[in-house]
Amino acid sequence: MRRRKTVSMDADILVIGGGMGGCGATYESRYWGRDLKIVCVEKANIERSGAVAQGLYAINCYMGMHWNENQPEDHVRYARNDLMGLVREDLGYDIARHVDATVHKFEEWGLPIMRDPETGRYQREGKWQIMIHGESYKPIVAEAARKAASEIYNRIMVTHLLMDEARPNRVAGAVGFNVRTGEFYVFRAKAVIVAAGGASHIFKPRAVGEGMGRTWYAPWSSASAYALPILAGAKMTQMENRIVLTRFKDGYGPVGAYFLHLKTYTQNAYGQDYEAFWRDSIEKMVGDYVNHHPVPTCLRNHALLEEVKAGRGPIRMVTKEAFQDPHKETVGWENFLGMTIGQAVVWASQNIDPKEINPELTTSEPYVMGSHATCSGAWASGPEDCAPADYQWGYNRMMTVEGLFGAGDAIGGSAHKFSSGSFTEGRIAGKAAVRYVNEIGREPPAVSEAECEELKTIVYKPLENYRIGRNEIVAGTVSPSYLLPLHGLQRLEKIMDEYVGGISAYYTTNEPLLTRGLELLGMLKEDLAHLGSEDLHQLQRAWELHHRVLASECVTQHTLFRTETRWPGYYYRADHPKLDDQDWHCFTLSRYDRHSGKWAMEKAPVYHIID
Amino acid sequence: MLSNPFAVLSASVPPAIMQAYVVLMALLVVAGTLFDIIHKQSATYFFSNWRNFQSKAKRQVGAGQMASLAVQSAVVDVLASGEFCNPRRRIAHLLTMYGFTIYIVTTIMMVFGYPTNAVPTPGGVVALWYIGGLMACAGGYWFWFFIRVDVVAEGHSPLRFVRADLFIVSLVLSVTFGLVWACAQSIGNAASSYILLGLYLLATTMLFGSIPWSKFSHMFFKPAAALEKRVAEANGTMSNLPPPADAPRKFGGGITHVRHY
Amino acid sequence: MPTFVYMTRCDGCGHCVDICPSDIMHIDTTYRRALNIEPNMCWECYSCVKACPQFAIDCRGYADFAPLGHSVRVRREEDKATISWKIKFRDGREKNFVSPIRTTPWGSIKSPADYAAPTAEAMKSQELAHEPETLKIAALPTVSRDRFK
Repeated sequence: MRRRKTVSMDADILVIGGGMGGCGATYESRYWGRDLKIVCVEKANIERSGAVAQGLYAINCYMGMHWNENQPEDHVRYARNDLMGLVREDLGYDIARHVDATVHKFEEWGLPIMRDPETGRYQREGKWQIMIHGESYKPIVAEAARKAASEIYNRIMVTHLLMDEARPNRVAGAVGFNVRTGEFYVFRAKAVIVAAGGASHIFKPRAVGEGMGRTWYAPWSSASAYALPILAGAKMTQMENRIVLTRFKDGYGPVGAYFLHLKTYTQNAYGQDYEAFWRDSIEKMVGDYVNHHPVPTCLRNHALLEEVKAGRGPIRMVTKEAFQDPHKETVGWENFLGMTIGQAVVWASQNIDPKEINPELTTSEPYVMGSHATCSGAWASGPEDCAPADYQWGYNRMMTVEGLFGAGDAIGGSAHKFSSGSFTEGRIAGKAAVRYVNEIGREPPAVSEAECEELKTIVYKPLENYRIGRNEIVAGTVSPSYLLPLHGLQRLEKIMDEYVGGISAYYTTNEPLLTRGLELLGMLKEDLAHLGSEDLHQLQRAWELHHRVLASECVTQHTLFRTETRWPGYYYRADHPKLDDQDWHCFTLSRYDRHSGKWAMEKAPVYHIID
Repeated sequence: MLSNPFAVLSASVPPAIMQAYVVLMALLVVAGTLFDIIHKQSATYFFSNWRNFQSKAKRQVGAGQMASLAVQSAVVDVLASGEFCNPRRRIAHLLTMYGFTIYIVTTIMMVFGYPTNAVPTPGGVVALWYIGGLMACAGGYWFWFFIRVDVVAEGHSPLRFVRADLFIVSLVLSVTFGLVWACAQSIGNAASSYILLGLYLLATTMLFGSIPWSKFSHMFFKPAAALEKRVAEANGTMSNLPPPADAPRKFGGGITHVRHY
Repeated sequence: MPTFVYMTRCDGCGHCVDICPSDIMHIDTTYRRALNIEPNMCWECYSCVKACPQFAIDCRGYADFAPLGHSVRVRREEDKATISWKIKFRDGREKNFVSPIRTTPWGSIKSPADYAAPTAEAMKSQELAHEPETLKIAALPTVSRDRFK
């Protein structure tokens, strides 16, 4: 097979992923580590990579402490409520107390933040959200990272983390390949911050042709945030806590500005308000949680789903009144143009003008990520001053692997952080990583040459599989000896959809289904050794699939472990249909042994540091 | 001393054959381009698109304005290769375009005007043939190895050859073999100059014969497209694009690239 | 809404190849111009559309659910720090929007290394860079352990 050049380099801090979390980590690491070598590696181009590629129209995590609008404790209560009681309050508090400073820096850097003409304060969309003209949110943040980093590597996909040969359970760096040149990269680093993307495209999406691309979360979020730490033996938490979103039909355009700023509301197909109708049945499932204000996101989803199942869909958002106001009409459209342009395209194509038509809403396929109204991710150490002893074993945002830090989607338990919170969590991890490097991580780790050579063979195997296997058939996509990455992706999405609570099952699963799902995932995992990639682009797709499959297996194990339905509207355990605070007011943790392929599950207590 | 290579060649090949070959190549250009247009119906598309956006015009473009747009298009887009946003690419294209044009014109002048040693070829014509050829090679090789987007932005090897490369490769090979053949012939090396003549003819025939499959005919399409773009701006349709914003230009920037990846 | 490239406008410069977050804008092997090689992995983020200096890239809504005849085009002008949109419905209705995209010049962000180096005390504290000034309150909030539930 073709000899590929290996490029090796040493860094003090390696940031994997150049999104909001990664750019925050890069910036902050430089402030505290003036002489350190800080390297950021991104599989695309940091100018537009990550979930904020097309921009954002709102920053959904801002306290406004200096205007006495909110305090960090309020945000903890809000996130805890929305997640049905299960959040890491220390991590959430930690982000909430810093996030204002991050947003003020964004404004200083040039992000246009709308102001309330009467009060002069940031224009609120809702209690936690402020409105921005954020088309260039990512380029602005990327500029800050470029000014801070020693080196930024674009178009390099990290496939595996490396472990220290000399010290047990310490990370040593990462390997990956250059998507343009095909060169193999070996990064050795004293500290690694994983700030890669969460998981889109693990459940079958609603559109399966071209429309597959219109996922709610970016299609390039390939679960690297999970697969990399899982393989390194880091403990993961709340991976069952997948999120389902109620958004505009087909385009999955955002509804936040509509509900909060335009004050729109939902109706069924017959013009009726339906949420009150389901209140009692929800109370039978989850008890008092239904009485909380605001109503948790999953419960609102549940009401919508029940209404649709009862045959009274489609559910529509009433916009006709609000859109008569030209200012609100502008906000309604610019909301999409700055954040989800595809929704504007859908409405233009179907002649939908919200002034005349109340547009349809739908619930999306499930996603697994850690920065929205959900908190899947790695189990991490909290801040020294306010984390309970059980939650604090080292440096802030360090996972259960020494020297391995995380930010954004990668960290579990810190919900409702969104873009500003993810950047802030990156900053927190960046400072902690600098302290770690200065204090106990001073010695560079030992990287095994043999392991690197072995990984190099593994990384390029799909190219070899294709080239050799291609000789067997005349042409086309069907081969008995290799799978194209898209084949594997579609099989994964079908397994997760049918067995682990996707749209075709109305998000419902049970133990027999989950067990069968694990069997099928097991066979898919074996088949991954036979992926065939025609070129480097397909090789990137192959490794994205690897990461997605491992993360999916983790999600399925967690879903099996938690024998209750904690978040109806996100997913249902039909064999344990009620919320069970007696046995399950706790976090789920898993640890994967990559040699045996086994998962060890355990529970961790939920401590409340805020009343 | 460099001389008119076709006059030298006329000692063994009659000028009539050389002239017939040149005429044949010219016919291949016409036939190839026409075949491209008719077979792909690209002219049909172009004119239907033209009619379509003219019908949606917000402003009428008069004959005088149309003529002025045509002149602008000819001068800026065609003669100055103004459509290229990358400055290096633009310079390389100008070198290749003018070099090849000078080389072709002087070839025709020599083959038809001074085909034998009977009438001496003006030194300037001969010099321009070599200069034009060298310019074409300079631009062509520079583009091939260092500017081609599939090499520079996508990371492919400069030795990769795909159908899009047919035109530039055959052009550069044709001119290279032509120059090397002329030099070998003037040194007096009979064997190598016949081999090189063969390669020269092969590459040249490939260049003109592959027109239905290569990007050759784009040299005729691009000026039409450039004019169409100017007219779309003039008549207000602007290809459905929003107009430039009414705001001061004080933020700097522009898409600057240090490296592609 | 995957993207497509106009034959008459693309000059094969490669900006779209550089910027695409999905790695799906590549160069066609027949024309050496850009094309979207994987529309089903296109998020319609418009990064390529905005990056193209020739306005050669446009978007046609996903065939799964978007009827033909619509147009959503954009002009991003970095030097004016504005973005302008023109939306055309299938039935011909039009909507236009212009927004600011930045309030400071491109390249003007101060490097974190250009600030005074942090003290050892600051390093040990819970404060991040530029705190507490950028919090705009007196001090970084904390929760005392005796308040833990």
